[in-house]
Amino acid sequence: MAGKCPFDGFGEARAKGPVLPARLDGDTIPMILRNKDVRRAARDWKTYSSDAPFRVPIPSEEHLRSIRQLPIETDPPEHGAWRALIEPFFNQPKEPDYAARIEELIDTSLDEALAVDSLEIVWEFALPLQSRALTHLLKMPESEADLWISWGTHVFDKDDENQRGSVLDIYLEEAVEKAAREPGEDIFSVLLQSKFQGRPLTKEEVIGFGNLAFAGGRDTVIASISALLGYLARHPDALEWLREDEKRIVPAVEEIFRTTSPITHIGRVCPVDTNVHGVEVPADGRVSLSWASANFDENVFDHPEEVHLDRKPNPHVAFGSGHHSCIGAPHARLILRTLARRLCAKVARMEILEESPLTEERPDYERRISYSLLKLRFSART
Amino acid sequence: MAKITFKTNAGDVVVENASGNLMEIATYESVEGIDADCGGVCSCATCMVRVPPEWREKLNPPEESEADLLDIEEAGEGVRLSCQIEVTEAMDGMVVEIPQRGES
Repeated sequence: MAGKCPFDGFGEARAKGPVLPARLDGDTIPMILRNKDVRRAARDWKTYSSDAPFRVPIPSEEHLRSIRQLPIETDPPEHGAWRALIEPFFNQPKEPDYAARIEELIDTSLDEALAVDSLEIVWEFALPLQSRALTHLLKMPESEADLWISWGTHVFDKDDENQRGSVLDIYLEEAVEKAAREPGEDIFSVLLQSKFQGRPLTKEEVIGFGNLAFAGGRDTVIASISALLGYLARHPDALEWLREDEKRIVPAVEEIFRTTSPITHIGRVCPVDTNVHGVEVPADGRVSLSWASANFDENVFDHPEEVHLDRKPNPHVAFGSGHHSCIGAPHARLILRTLARRLCAKVARMEILEESPLTEERPDYERRISYSLLKLRFSART
Repeated sequence: MAKITFKTNAGDVVVENASGNLMEIATYESVEGIDADCGGVCSCATCMVRVPPEWREKLNPPEESEADLLDIEEAGEGVRLSCQIEVTEAMDGMVVEIPQRGES
């Protein structure tokens, strides 16, 4: 099961050395490129710190928000205590009744797709599915997703510099106020009643958790769903191959995550002057851990530019690595695995009617992530 | 077929007549501490077990990808990824521990 893949934006840079000094965000930020170096840096929080509000994402979000995202913008040991507060929510995907609810959502989405002549996947399939699934993760009413879907593409547009006080911030403030007035089982209510190091959380801290849950799990899941459907539409033989043996789905989905690498990289800040594989970074300077480059490292993956749905081992870092590895990964994996399994059950084939790539273009690299538009026609199994 | 025991914080989980992949056995039995998020492709390092010295030579040595991951994670002596271990009769009676995760 091999197909050519245009997603590696760092092949030339890796051939030159372990680090790409990249012009990003008005700065030159060394991007760590190799799989093992990225994994090591992700563990080494004393050298590469996340205790840097607004500066863990690249570009920085200093102009977007005034509240620290939790738990991602913290270091051990506080990080572990913050993360533990939300783990019960993010571990739900391992429970059978939760998996059954996600399967029901996906079946409904596929039935809707099969009932129409054509469907644009990114915004008419992936966004609604991602939003509805998120209501289950956060234990909120499914109807709440209607509002999240209506935000469309612009709610987290980082290129707009006037986004402070954005629709997301306003929504989160209202959601936290409502949870304070009328506590329920949702994540905001639970966090308001939780304690960190013996004291209650502030409303700002609860918003900080909410901000990451929305921003981190939106475009990434949408890109992954679109990539899976796009690949199986383009390669009908791959859909048949999965159908022959459903045990193939788990490694196949991991390969989709590897080749999609929805998050190109994430930042860390060096507390002191640091030599990063030959590049000097001054104290308080930023470094990037490039998941997208690490996922195509020739030293770790045979023919990394090819999609092999049966790739094993597949030591990708699409969900990051180490203590900050994506807390939403079990949820994302459940959605993609269930989608692949239910496609096998319900869909004979998909035909691509129209497509546009989702790309990321920066002065020193360019990569394709997934689709910005993908119009498909679904045919039911008979 | 082999008898395998997983020692966990929540107590021992004993599997009689175990066969197949050790991670799959552990997840089927809901062994605490074996999350196995990536499903066995050697990406996530959430299926670690510590194998006592007397049993280590009964197991195939780790392949490069597993060894790299264990090294990077500073997993410690005798720790293996259970997804990379196929149970054989030579492992009959083996007791493995679930190591504590590192600092988080």
